Amino acid sequence: MAKTPQTPISRTSRLLDLVPYLAAHQGIELNSLAKDFSVTANQMVADLTTLWMCGLPGYTPLELMDLSFDSGYVTIHNAETLSKPRNLTSEESIALLLGLDLVVQSLPEERSDLLAIATALRNKLAERANLPSPVHANSSGDSAIRTSILHAISAKKSVEISYHSLYADVITSRVITPLEIHIEETHENVWAYCESANSFRSFRMDRVLESKEVKAPARTSHPNHSSESHSIDFVLRIHSRLRDAVERFSINKADMAGDIHKQAYSQQWLIRSVLSSSGAVELIAPGMTRESIALTAATLLRKYETH
Amino acid sequence: MSRKIERLINLTIALLATKRYLTKNEIFSSVEGYEGSPETKERMFERDKDDLRNLGIQIEVGGFDPAFDDEAGYRIKSENYSLNLGTITGTEIALLSLAAEAWRGAALDDAAQSALLKLRSMGVESDMDSIPNISLQIRTPQTNFEMISQAISQRGVLKFSYLSKDLEVQHRSVAPYAIATHRGFWYLAGMDLDRKSLRTFRLDRIEGEIETSRGSNEYAIPEDFDILKSLEAIRKPERATLDIRKGKAHLLRVQALSIIDKGEWDEITLEYQDLTYVVDSILWHGDDVFVVAPDNLREAVVDALKVLVGLHG
Repeated sequence: MAKTPQTPISRTSRLLDLVPYLAAHQGIELNSLAKDFSVTANQMVADLTTLWMCGLPGYTPLELMDLSFDSGYVTIHNAETLSKPRNLTSEESIALLLGLDLVVQSLPEERSDLLAIATALRNKLAERANLPSPVHANSSGDSAIRTSILHAISAKKSVEISYHSLYADVITSRVITPLEIHIEETHENVWAYCESANSFRSFRMDRVLESKEVKAPARTSHPNHSSESHSIDFVLRIHSRLRDAVERFSINKADMAGDIHKQAYSQQWLIRSVLSSSGAVELIAPGMTRESIALTAATLLRKYETH
Repeated sequence: MSRKIERLINLTIALLATKRYLTKNEIFSSVEGYEGSPETKERMFERDKDDLRNLGIQIEVGGFDPAFDDEAGYRIKSENYSLNLGTITGTEIALLSLAAEAWRGAALDDAAQSALLKLRSMGVESDMDSIPNISLQIRTPQTNFEMISQAISQRGVLKFSYLSKDLEVQHRSVAPYAIATHRGFWYLAGMDLDRKSLRTFRLDRIEGEIETSRGSNEYAIPEDFDILKSLEAIRKPERATLDIRKGKAHLLRVQALSIIDKGEWDEITLEYQDLTYVVDSILWHGDDVFVVAPDNLREAVVDALKVLVGLHG
């Protein structure tokens, strides 16, 4: 259960933080204390036993901390020296500052009172941490949509979403029963049962444009349009802008010598990706896709020459 | 292991409780756990000081008194040790909890949780009812945050390998000023010490380990520095007029400053700064987007199309 490895340093750090936490939560149940510190109850007993031996020089009962934890509830006395919480580390400050940025951007407009409080708090923290302006996070998803989906997950309800399919470039409305939110690389996805397609699907959170709760799942099955489930083998030659190509096509840098062999799962993605590389990459195979890129480019070029 | 922990905690308590600097000998004779030969005690103490400093605990060295002897003394000042945010309300704790929760499963999750434990030790209950029910999520798999954030707050120099546009590995020495998100990626901004100019670096383009200098206060961050400005408005934005097919090109549609209905097509205007980036995103949409103006953007798109036809035709 413990996330961090047990080094003397990490345990010391935990024990130092335990004292003020106990002072603020006298009589806390041992199990919930262990949970708050992400350790097992046994580990917490070991921590408390170690702490019990500590105190001011002299180390007589008068100077030692007074801990009681045998009844399953923990209290602490005679620990004034350590009873104030420790200062935030720079990493902790940055975590809170970046988090507050998102809070500030996500508060509803009518709560200008909270906005003022959050902004003042952010400035105060930044100043204390010697980080006056240097950190900033942008929210890339809509927090109202997240909240609606999270609510649907916990209430086991369905939502109607409008969703932008990037490769097909269409916006569709679907009824989904969201099951969980998970993160893949840098993107947040909703894993859901899509009532409109009658199957489990993953949706990119930042492409959900709207979400509203619906009473009962509307079990109207839509035709399954263009499900491109089989993979396409393609061969790519990179002519310039190497880094852009590596990032766009997720190429392993070790494979950069010569032509690149990869697989795609969407014809539309492949065509769009090659077009938007603006000539920095060339699709060698498959031949049909190559021809269709040539055709699109030539048609567009003629339009520019005549308009 | 627990003897070492006890000694570190006892040392912290002793140095915090003292009103004056304690000499090494006073520490050895009064703090429990220092045993063995004078050299052993000395080594133990040096290691303990380093360990406490690594935990972010500042130990002051001082108390030289020429009238008696010149032995250094040690203490921990309470104002440096403890969290001091002034008076704090339940609403503020609730907002900070929301901020910490945003890191669930992301890079600074552990730091956010330990910060939250400290805040919850201030004896003020979080007033979650006073804030709206919103849920936030920071997305980042980055693991270099810890190092970069420490370097920024200590004003220490970073050294790392960076991938250039042509995938060359370049060695950079940077005085870091700030980190920020931009278009879904994390960026570091700072003074490139070799190139002597302000640069931004996308964190996922940093190769391998980052090294930090051991020193601190090696530079100052300019007071008017604004990372968002250095990421955004380097150049004056240009304005483009595009025709986009009805019901298509949603990625461009959301950026539109104006939309005019022209039947089968809509005419939109949008602002852009990076010509390459805007050409790429126009071509992503194939024949659903047509550039009306300005001429230099039309020319850039036409040039790219000529290369595409040349390569694939």
